[in-house]
Amino acid sequence: MKRRSFIQTSGLASAAMLTPAFLRAGVRPAASSRQGKILVVIQLSGGNDGLNTIIPYGDDIYYSQRPTLSIPPAEVLTLNDYQGLHPALAPLRELYDLGQLAVLNGVGYPEPDRSHFRSMDIWQTGSGSRQNWSTGWLGRYLDHLPRNQHAYHAIEVDDGLSLAMKGAEQRGFAMGDPNRLRRAVRNPLLPESAHAQVHQQHTVSYLYETLTRTSEAADYLYEKSRIYRSRQPYPPGNFGRDLKQVAELITADTDTQVYYLSLTGFDTHARQLGMHQRLLDQYAKGVSAFVKDLKQNRLFEDVIIMTFSEFGRRLAQNGSGGTDHGTANNVTLIGGDLKRAGLLNAPSSLSHLDRGDLIFDVDFRRLYATLLNRWLDAPADQILMNNFEPLDFI
Amino acid sequence: MQTKLIQHIYNRAGFGLSPDEWNARKQWSIDQAIDDLFSKAENATKLPDAEAITAVGNSMMSGEERAERRRAEARRVFQLGTDWTMRMGDPDAPALLERITLFWHGHFACESKLSVIATKQLQTLRQYGLGHFRDLLIGISKDPAMIRYLNNQQNKKDSPNENFARELMELFTIGRGHYTENDVKEAARAFTGWSSNLRGEFVFRRRIHDYGPKEFMGRQGNFDGTDIIDILLERRETAYFLTKKIYRYFVSDIPNEGRIRTLATEFYRSDYHIGQLLRRIFRSDWFYDSEIIGQKIKSPVELIAGLVRQLGLTGLDFRAVFGLQKALGQQLFKPPNVAGWPGGKQWIDNATLLLRLNIATAIFRGAELDFNLRPDLEQSQGRNLRGLQAQMVLAPIARILEDIPSESVYEELSQYLLSSPAPPPESYLIDLSLSREQIISRSCLQLMSLPEYQMC
Repeated sequence: MKRRSFIQTSGLASAAMLTPAFLRAGVRPAASSRQGKILVVIQLSGGNDGLNTIIPYGDDIYYSQRPTLSIPPAEVLTLNDYQGLHPALAPLRELYDLGQLAVLNGVGYPEPDRSHFRSMDIWQTGSGSRQNWSTGWLGRYLDHLPRNQHAYHAIEVDDGLSLAMKGAEQRGFAMGDPNRLRRAVRNPLLPESAHAQVHQQHTVSYLYETLTRTSEAADYLYEKSRIYRSRQPYPPGNFGRDLKQVAELITADTDTQVYYLSLTGFDTHARQLGMHQRLLDQYAKGVSAFVKDLKQNRLFEDVIIMTFSEFGRRLAQNGSGGTDHGTANNVTLIGGDLKRAGLLNAPSSLSHLDRGDLIFDVDFRRLYATLLNRWLDAPADQILMNNFEPLDFI
Repeated sequence: MQTKLIQHIYNRAGFGLSPDEWNARKQWSIDQAIDDLFSKAENATKLPDAEAITAVGNSMMSGEERAERRRAEARRVFQLGTDWTMRMGDPDAPALLERITLFWHGHFACESKLSVIATKQLQTLRQYGLGHFRDLLIGISKDPAMIRYLNNQQNKKDSPNENFARELMELFTIGRGHYTENDVKEAARAFTGWSSNLRGEFVFRRRIHDYGPKEFMGRQGNFDGTDIIDILLERRETAYFLTKKIYRYFVSDIPNEGRIRTLATEFYRSDYHIGQLLRRIFRSDWFYDSEIIGQKIKSPVELIAGLVRQLGLTGLDFRAVFGLQKALGQQLFKPPNVAGWPGGKQWIDNATLLLRLNIATAIFRGAELDFNLRPDLEQSQGRNLRGLQAQMVLAPIARILEDIPSESVYEELSQYLLSSPAPPPESYLIDLSLSREQIISRSCLQLMSLPEYQMC
């Protein structure tokens, strides 16, 4: 509630003035005020080169293994005497200094799989390397919640829904763009929900129910998406646009606890330097604008942004000026209420490798357990179907 | 009433009925339908081999050339999946055979990136799909696409790879809880050397095969892969596991223990004869119960095949078919993982449901779908599924309505297109100032935009 009154009374009232009268007239659903914290998951698809993101510039092995791909020490934004940020991450440097950015090194799982597809599957389901699961970790989080949730409790900013967001019973909500979604539900040929009554105990009633919930959610989110207009300079491109949309929804007090976004193109087998630089630039500028939006609206303390990729890349560069699929990787956590920030653990060893790849130190499911238990207030053991020791950053 | 039963068996054992098939068969007996389905399957011709291509990429090629080869090869695999989908929708093709092949493609879920071996696998599934399961299982264990997918190329005497052996037990035959980790290890040893060559043929590599004694499921011997398969087939749990999966696919998402046990016993006694098991199911009274008919959600591929069959769709570009499969969550030759497509309610989320309901409008009115397809993980750019430029023919549908007065067209069409009761027609559909052609076209569009149309 405090956020809403803030919007109405502050200088941001100009944004509210853009809102059509019928929206301002208070058609918010009764219990729309969000309960609890917000988790934003950013998926870097293709296998982000963690070693050129959080750079072990203090290690000669890094330079000897990457003669043309390494970032010179002078360009690295140093964090301590061993690791530093890629120069394109400069917009995030301030967050690190403020204790609002944490890096977890060496995150992975036993018997790592170097296929994009399989490893992403493992990250999205939270399974072990030898298991084939059909539900995602956030989907099972939704399964665990009481049954009367809104369809938009967890939103993926995409036209389709990732496995991570699919539970056995509940699903997250896919919305690439509120306008497009609204057009799709407004096809006049789609039936009235009233007809669902005809089908007692029939599977088709499940489809009617999903349709009704989708239409309601589409209307609600369309309205929410028009309440607040961000003034931050998001970078051009889909990722910036998606993040801006999430910032606007959060600021409009949307009753959504989980947002899922992705940035693609990290499979840098050839000519990596320029490509990776542009991707990190997009990422850092986008996240920086996003955080500024949240801070401006005093929401940053309610949000944690987790950034992961399906695997890191090999230490040694390949013959095409790129890197091949690797294993363990760093994960970044950004938030206004981190209990511990900075470099959370020791960096991965560059001398003790497994067939040329980093060896993982922290199982990624410990990270999930931490976020589920301590941030989303959910029983991680049941959702992850195993007991993983939480970490101490929350 | 008989008509609904005939429609039901063709929905489940095939991909529905074309308008002409509906006209010709709606008075048939169930036995006639079963005989028709099986005789078409038995007389099916073998699929042609894929055009041999040189290995994708070699060390003499530049990265760009290799990438282009890969893209071209990916297009061939999409085309293969599109041809298959069109075959499922083709009234002249053997519907039951395509249906069981689709089932086995989900059971022996396998991603293929090379058209030659994807074609081979499809041939194997078709060849043995309705016969004895043992032949099918041995065929798939020697299948180059499966060998690659589950890393049996790397399964060598000195460094066994357990991937295939594990899935053989967990997913293909007996199921979790009926084998030990040691069984996995020993079975992996038995399959060492089961490999394939660059031409996509099975090769047994003696030098890396482990000829030593093994202990598997309490038995000892110098087992090879075939012995392991036979021991697994001796276990009644295997018959139960397979029967349950077949029941869930062809009958209902809600398993009925009593029926499954009875069927599994017969399946076991018949030496795992798949065709006999299916005949037994299609002849059972319970198969036609009201809690079975119209209660399954069509898979994306079934949905597309049904549209093709009912509307006589032609001219569908493989990019559109593939895009639709991808957006709806069932890409042929690219299952989510080795466990296959979970199916049932898992097909449905807000995005896939809306897209499903908007497909008819895209076909009838050329409306834009405007759906952004997520790029694959190794790509940086996605595509947009704009629409479906397909040609359809309504004349055959008009033929099933020949003696029907215009005010009853909607009702009669709902009998043909849906397997559960339709909501009353929108008022404009009973507006008799419309031409007959308009009434038919609009009624079809209305009915195909209903959630009921997603059911079979």
